[in-house]
Amino acid sequence: MKRYLIILVIASLVFAGCSVTEPVAKSNAYKGMYDEEPLTVLLMPPINRSTNVEAKEYFHSSLSVPIANSGYYVIPPFLSMEILKRESAYDSELFLNSSLKKFGEVFGADVALFTIINKWDKSAIASQVDIEVEYVLKSVESNEVLYTRKGAITYDTSVSTGGSGAIGLLADLAASAINTAATKYVDVARSCNTYTFSDLPAGKYHEKHNIDREEPAGEKEFKVNLN
Amino acid sequence: MKKLFFVFSGLLLLSACTVNKPLYTWADYEKASYMYLKNADEKATQELIENYQEVIEKQKGTRGVVPPGIYADYGFVLLQADRDDEGKQMLQKEIALYPESEVFITRILKMIEQ
Repeated sequence: MKRYLIILVIASLVFAGCSVTEPVAKSNAYKGMYDEEPLTVLLMPPINRSTNVEAKEYFHSSLSVPIANSGYYVIPPFLSMEILKRESAYDSELFLNSSLKKFGEVFGADVALFTIINKWDKSAIASQVDIEVEYVLKSVESNEVLYTRKGAITYDTSVSTGGSGAIGLLADLAASAINTAATKYVDVARSCNTYTFSDLPAGKYHEKHNIDREEPAGEKEFKVNLN
Repeated sequence: MKKLFFVFSGLLLLSACTVNKPLYTWADYEKASYMYLKNADEKATQELIENYQEVIEKQKGTRGVVPPGIYADYGFVLLQADRDDEGKQMLQKEIALYPESEVFITRILKMIEQ
């Protein structure tokens, strides 16, 4: 009897850990995605409003994986970036509120993904990165926002060297600082994107396309600790 | 007995939170493309090329095909390295696998011919 009780408690804990508060069905939250059924996604160069000058590039190279893995066709990022630069369309801010029809003609895009990095603060001492990113998926044809989420993400970059006492603490600090400065940023960006797009309605190449309507959408604005 | 209990609760955890196998596998694509953008040197280019080759040749995703954009961007990197014929071939492969890319890729192919 006792054992069953323990199992029950564990099971409910597990479920509590994975649940989303006040779930809204995806078909409700992202109605436009189901109405328009976009296939091809153009990744716009990220808009960087943070003080970290390199945030833009760090971010761009990690966007295509989660979108493609959700069943969409992502327009080749390096090629499209090159063309956007040549056509002086590298500043996405200019297109955030204007017609996107041209992108449909040139790239064959159904939707454009805008990412706005509002904050990218790294703190070596606390070994964490505080990020605020907004993701906006806009229809090229109707200019409607089909999907948007905004996340305040704290990413823990600490690594333990396993030392103890004052020396261990110092070693930990040094290791974290190096870690924060280096390519760990790829991991940070990947975590943010993967977390955010985990509720993106499945695209045409995904077996769940159109059958995930009743699944819960994530919160529009969220706060999360990742590592 | 205790062991069994741990195995069981472990299974429970897994079953509640598993992530399905992804549509595509990408090797170390994000890191390789980041290094390529950041350093733009020969070493980074070589590593990105090797990463593309791995994604193409050792694809383990559920769809069993090369992910969107890989052939085309691989072709682009080859073109940058003056390997024109191979580059164009890769662009053609992108169109064959993903017909929705035709509008854009045909435009690129025309630009190369000019």
